[in-house]
Amino acid sequence: MSDDFNNYSEPMLEMFIFETNQSMEQLEEILLNIEGNSKITDDDINEIFRIMHTIKGSSSMMMFNNISKLTHSLEDLFYFIREKEIYDIDLTKLSDLVFSTIDFITLEISKIEQGNEPDGDAGELTDEIKDFLNSLKKELPEGEVVSLENKEEPENFISKEYTSENYNKYIGKIFFEEDCKMENMRAFSLLRDLEDLISDVSYKPEDLFEDEDAAEKIIKDGFNILFKSEKDYEDIFNILNNGMFVKLVELEEIDSSEVIDDKMNEKEKDDKDKIAKNIKNPFSLNKSKNIISVNVEKMDVLMDLVGEIVITESMVTKNPEIQDLELENFDKAARQLRKLNNELQDIVMSIRMIQIGPTFHKMHRIVRDMNKQLDKDTRLEISGEETEVDKNIIDTLGEPLMHLIRNSLDHGIESAEERIEKGKPERGLIALDAVNTGGDVIISIKDDGKGLDKDMILEKASKNNLLSKSPEEMSDKEIFSLILLPGFSTKDDVSEYSGRGVGMDVVKKSIDKVGGNIQIESQKDVGTTINIKIPLTLAIIDGMKISVGDSIFTVPTTTIKESFKAKDEDLVKDTSGKEMILIRGEVYPVVRLHEIFNLDANEMNLKDGILVMVETEESSYCLFADEILGEQQVVVKPIPFYLRQYKVKDSGVAGCAILGNADISLILDISGISNKYI
Amino acid sequence: MNQNKEERMEIQEEDTQKGRFLTFKLGEEVFGLEIKYVTEIVGIQPITNIPEVPEYVKGIINLRGKIIPVIDVRIKFKKEPIEYDERTCIIVIDIDDMSVGLIVDNVSEVVTIKDEDIVPPPSYKTGFQNKYIKGVGKSKDGVKLLLDSNKLLTNEEKQGISDIEL
Amino acid sequence: MKKVLIVDDAAFMRHTIKAMLEKNGFEIIGEAENGALGVERYKELSPDIVTMDITMPEKDGIEALKDIKKIDSNASVLMVSAMGQEKLVKNSIIAGAKGFIVKPFKEDKLVEALSKL
Repeated sequence: MSDDFNNYSEPMLEMFIFETNQSMEQLEEILLNIEGNSKITDDDINEIFRIMHTIKGSSSMMMFNNISKLTHSLEDLFYFIREKEIYDIDLTKLSDLVFSTIDFITLEISKIEQGNEPDGDAGELTDEIKDFLNSLKKELPEGEVVSLENKEEPENFISKEYTSENYNKYIGKIFFEEDCKMENMRAFSLLRDLEDLISDVSYKPEDLFEDEDAAEKIIKDGFNILFKSEKDYEDIFNILNNGMFVKLVELEEIDSSEVIDDKMNEKEKDDKDKIAKNIKNPFSLNKSKNIISVNVEKMDVLMDLVGEIVITESMVTKNPEIQDLELENFDKAARQLRKLNNELQDIVMSIRMIQIGPTFHKMHRIVRDMNKQLDKDTRLEISGEETEVDKNIIDTLGEPLMHLIRNSLDHGIESAEERIEKGKPERGLIALDAVNTGGDVIISIKDDGKGLDKDMILEKASKNNLLSKSPEEMSDKEIFSLILLPGFSTKDDVSEYSGRGVGMDVVKKSIDKVGGNIQIESQKDVGTTINIKIPLTLAIIDGMKISVGDSIFTVPTTTIKESFKAKDEDLVKDTSGKEMILIRGEVYPVVRLHEIFNLDANEMNLKDGILVMVETEESSYCLFADEILGEQQVVVKPIPFYLRQYKVKDSGVAGCAILGNADISLILDISGISNKYI
Repeated sequence: MNQNKEERMEIQEEDTQKGRFLTFKLGEEVFGLEIKYVTEIVGIQPITNIPEVPEYVKGIINLRGKIIPVIDVRIKFKKEPIEYDERTCIIVIDIDDMSVGLIVDNVSEVVTIKDEDIVPPPSYKTGFQNKYIKGVGKSKDGVKLLLDSNKLLTNEEKQGISDIEL
Repeated sequence: MKKVLIVDDAAFMRHTIKAMLEKNGFEIIGEAENGALGVERYKELSPDIVTMDITMPEKDGIEALKDIKKIDSNASVLMVSAMGQEKLVKNSIIAGAKGFIVKPFKEDKLVEALSKL
């Protein structure tokens, strides 16, 4: 990269990377659409042209010439297609060329992102594109293609005829700055500047527009001009010298007896028609609305601050020192403060949260490529695209998702013949879904393939010494989870697609990093479902404080259905002696908090404490605690990293909350408790 | 070129910090902790219990809005636990972005111990803490058992399958 | 300090031009990502100079240039072009652009161009 850019290269580079990546995503979407419909529209062509044009410009500014040349060739191709209005085109070849371009650019960008030189060579691809363009040109009746305009006569100026006798004759030679480009146009510009003041003009090179070498000639010999003018030397000289990028003006007054040529130009009206034609197709709507891009680190700081404000607000409004006081004005102000903080939270949270849609959509490309290579025709169905997930989670999700989908396609979905034999629809289906459950986001990848082979898994696990229990003692879930262990798959049995020497354990690691977990379900010949549960890292939730002895727990309000005191007659026990409660004809299990957390409770009798009925997607049950203390908005702070090596996450604790008096309250993981204790 | 220079400077910095240890007491024994990992020292404060953790993990504390897990070093070293009093301190160490508080009887001072005054730990087993000791340092007021901070923070139970909870 | 309005549909170009000019004593008082918005901003802000990308959606540079010239016939507009857009450059000159610069360009060229406006 040029030295010029060193001073502000960082933000400029980031912007370039960001924009180019965005463009590549847009481009891919357009292409997949085209392929899906087997048709290309005007809008598609315009959009692709526009994207190539933009990247050609920006990559040339950044001196990434390989990208610039490649996009230039595609720009030319699409310009041709647009101008000639060609719709009957080999779409397969066209989309392959564009996809290859996307891949090349994406690879170069990732090199740049890692601080390396984008040293890829797109020569072959560029040639392919040029060849394709040439083949299109050959198919056309006419030979000339570059523009729709007819060949014109060399254009000159309306040259006034002077009637006055009071004029001077000048001869000028003008040189422009090195590398200012389009010197012929600059010459034209000078002529315009002088237009009203001069007459009987002739100049060299005579043809500024159609002569391809005009600019070269001007660079070599300067722009030579001969004219008459009433203005004196100073005025003419200054006008010429003030021209943009003018380096040197040689101007001489000459004897009026010398002959000058006079040519008539074509009317400007023709020019106007040509302008209209050149840009006749309005470019399709630019997708970006009023958007600014913000550095993620700033967002992190902002999020932390908002969290602190929530805590501090509690520390003020719920301060033990004032709890017993009746302060009307204070309360009013406190409510206003709370209202404003809520609004602030909502907005800040919404900034951090990004819809998972785009990440899911990227998977279409993967499925397309794999279908081609494996000769399968699998559908990808996406739902829950509007589900919002924290930005830093989205970033780490991409790779694991890709890997899981590749797995499904490679190992799960059977060939068309096999599927027909089994009585399944010929096309395989992979369903990608995301749902927000308040405290977590659950992403599921479900295929209707052949399912996981339990015996094979057990065999492999045993071979690699990974069995800690005997197979008979293991539940299906446990058996399937064996594939997540490091050392389960060896390098030998990894096909080109799923793995590349990498097993499911790497997927697990990525998910662990964001504090999530993976659960696998499978049925032979029916299919496999992989569920990824990811807790929202910074959440501000409405929680209900309940006490058990000296400890205060927080229950997410979204999970609470009701709370009540138990009556003797409603208490029952099931066949294994577990306590249950009868409510409106249904029986619900009771979970004693003091028992699962090993605490000294004040109330041991179910009748004396309080029962809180909670609900998740999978189950409903009742928590038994001493008393309910009240509602409070809390900031969910994740369980400290150090504790991850223990089983805290699965013990029923979802996170920690800091209360108004600076105490810590553990936030209960309602579905976790259900999984473990019921 | 630049990178080498930076590396050299980092090593130099490590060298100058290498000899500095924060010392604390458990009973009569004096231990030392490399100062470079210590971020702060606070007095004992209310600890919130956490379920499903080993005995030496006492729970978590709220340090100005940051939640820090705390370990009772006495229990970790399989010594007799004692009641916390106003002298009990929590030393907060930070390794690889992981913060942990160590509950100790009291904190003494920061001493400088030169490399040549540090000998490898005794080969015979005199106590559970041996696996956590990097070396034994001799300073003017006695011997200090220098701890390996990294080892202190890893779970000695076997990882792997036991991790998978369903 | 001369006040500049940057009109370009590529965020990268707006960012780059802004960075280059701010380093050289120009004040960027506004940005627009298409010609239509560019004309509106021009009306709101009355900049001394406008840098105008030639090809943009929602009204291209030349149309926007014409609109601006109607508002102020003496408006200083610098067209930003790419190689191969000679016809467009020519038409913008005819429409009254005071000058043009061709991508890729370095900072010194941009500054020199603006100094003439």
